[in-house]
Amino acid sequence: MFRRHNIAARIFDRQISTVAPGTSVHHTRRFYENLVPNCTIYEVECPDHLYRKITEDGQYLICFSRNHQDLIVYRPTWLSYSCKEECDTNDLPPKAKRFESFFSQLYCVSLASSNELICKDFFLYMESNQFGLFATSTTQNHDAPVGGAVQGVPSIEKITFHLLRLEDGVVLDQKCFHNDFINLAHNMGVFLYDDLLAIVSIRYQTIHILQIRDSGNLVDIRAIGTFCREDDELFLNSSTQSMLSHEKGKLHQLPENPVENGLHQSEPSSDYCFLSGIKQRLLSFIFRGIWNEEPDQALRVQSLKKKFYFHFQDYVDLVIWKVQFLDRHHLLIKFGSVDGGVSRNADQHPAFFAVYNMETTEIAAFYQNTADELYLLFEQFCDHFHATSRNSLYLNFISSHSNNMHAREQLRSAKNKASSSLQFVKKMLVSLPFSCQSQSPSPYFDQSLFRFDEKLISATDRHRQSTDHPIKFILRRPPNTLKFKIKTGPEAGSTDSRTKKISSFIFHPFLPLALSIQQNLSLQPSVVNIHFRK
Amino acid sequence: MTKPAAGSLAGMLTMTKPSAGSLASRSTWVSTTSVSSSGKRIQREMVELNLDPPPGCCAGPKGDNLYNWVATIIGPPGTPYQGGIYFLDITFPYDYPFQPPKVVFKTRIYHCNVDSAGNVSLEILKDSWSPALTITKVLQALQSIFTKPDPYNPLVPGIAHLYLQDEAKHAELAAEWTLRFAK
Repeated sequence: MFRRHNIAARIFDRQISTVAPGTSVHHTRRFYENLVPNCTIYEVECPDHLYRKITEDGQYLICFSRNHQDLIVYRPTWLSYSCKEECDTNDLPPKAKRFESFFSQLYCVSLASSNELICKDFFLYMESNQFGLFATSTTQNHDAPVGGAVQGVPSIEKITFHLLRLEDGVVLDQKCFHNDFINLAHNMGVFLYDDLLAIVSIRYQTIHILQIRDSGNLVDIRAIGTFCREDDELFLNSSTQSMLSHEKGKLHQLPENPVENGLHQSEPSSDYCFLSGIKQRLLSFIFRGIWNEEPDQALRVQSLKKKFYFHFQDYVDLVIWKVQFLDRHHLLIKFGSVDGGVSRNADQHPAFFAVYNMETTEIAAFYQNTADELYLLFEQFCDHFHATSRNSLYLNFISSHSNNMHAREQLRSAKNKASSSLQFVKKMLVSLPFSCQSQSPSPYFDQSLFRFDEKLISATDRHRQSTDHPIKFILRRPPNTLKFKIKTGPEAGSTDSRTKKISSFIFHPFLPLALSIQQNLSLQPSVVNIHFRK
Repeated sequence: MTKPAAGSLAGMLTMTKPSAGSLASRSTWVSTTSVSSSGKRIQREMVELNLDPPPGCCAGPKGDNLYNWVATIIGPPGTPYQGGIYFLDITFPYDYPFQPPKVVFKTRIYHCNVDSAGNVSLEILKDSWSPALTITKVLQALQSIFTKPDPYNPLVPGIAHLYLQDEAKHAELAAEWTLRFAK
């Protein structure tokens, strides 16, 4: 069908025709083809902060100070200016070409105290309450107590989560973890779903489930790991105590009974000799699966021997790496070997995925990272893995291969090109569980609207290697023309081409406004460009 | 009868020799032939178990170490342990079958014959052990304590007391433990 690209003609079209039911938002989003951030202010003068992101509702620009001590919050505003003298309509007056014309500072608060620093890669936003979650931590601690901890996992003396009301920067609540390890880079170890927060302690193999109350309190709901239900430990202690009280009665009669004294002493260490709650669930799930699969007694024993007992210790040694919510009850948990959880190239290690229902404390499914079944679910229902909070408007439009035909085609061609399907499945499943709030909802990353080089830029919030060439955004539909370019760094290109530079992008969720930040690895201030529609 | 797989067994032996040596220095001297004979014996019992496994339980070596086994006992229906899956570590001594295997629960259980560290007290694993007994017999004996606890030789007197005085209450607690820790 021939469609006109002139914006006036489009508005006219919108007036006289109705679109197919259920597509009105998609149709309205096509106006973004006309409204693009095609104007760039190069090397804008701006405070030397670490720019983190613009919240999903476009209300706040989150920045941290260079010394990792303070949080600085700006309100993104639309550029407006007036000039007394004759105005050149083609160019902005120099006074308007400032950071402050686009962002007005709301406040600056100090988050880090004494020896703690803000983790610049960590920030979660709770849109419904406009709460922000930040983390500060001390440096790695090499002589941490070992009791109950997984060997080979680093320890951080203190990690503090801060819940802030972003409206005015008031700290509402804090939650500390001591001598623990939580992967804070790119929000990996923490997942927010509605008001529920899952924090993975890798060192103590515990998934802490917290609730963020409307009052601004962080409330512990349960800890999944050694135990499954929230009152398991209490139950165990109270029933062991009642057992002991019986024994104590006996003890008075026979004070020098050696067996019972021995029993008392073995009490504290008893936690470590049993399988942890989550492992018991996992192992019994695997066992049941193999048991029920084979009705013949003798064959069943053979198959259990080969598939279960032979690998038993490997299953016991599995470590929880990462967790995400699938809905309010189900968690997708990734298990792997100890070295895989901490090292960067985690895809080299075998990994497993479990779906765990934290209400019934049952494992619902268990897959290896080479499982075709899981891959097919991932291919067809990718959006179900992107569990976003219900009330989040823009996040529903993030392109994925299950809601976008262009992304799907790209995936298919990558799949066909892959030399081994096993390797391909493995590679794709590396992204599971998803990191929380790691994608920008900006319409300029909508793959049904624009085409761009995903190696240089994408909705995923990551640092990328910077090139001197501008990144082109090309219309997906005919006439497939170049609509705008995003160029990082100085306008003339950088003078020093030897040093490696990385860039990051902060897109506004719905306005044609973006920041590009180019840094080189030395400590020079970064080059910030503002991209907007004039 | 069936011959043990010579290759894998030889590999096993080279692996277990040093620890057999350390064991020997502590207690009695164990010749390599006796290690291999215990290995052969375990191998034979494994074949036996595979051919005719007792219902509701199963066991097998952990990895390729013939002396460390894992057993699984499914909580027998009609007992408070119904619905639970119990994992147990079974360690065979190098002078097996002249010494009984050591059995430890890896799953928490509310039982008067299992202490708070998972150690199980079973007559045939102590004084009544006989080299004529096999792993199949041990599994059957373990299974029987699920249906018939022995409150007169308890490891946890508190539980035994409750079992004798108020069996309904005992069953209720044991079922709660099953639900919480053995599912």
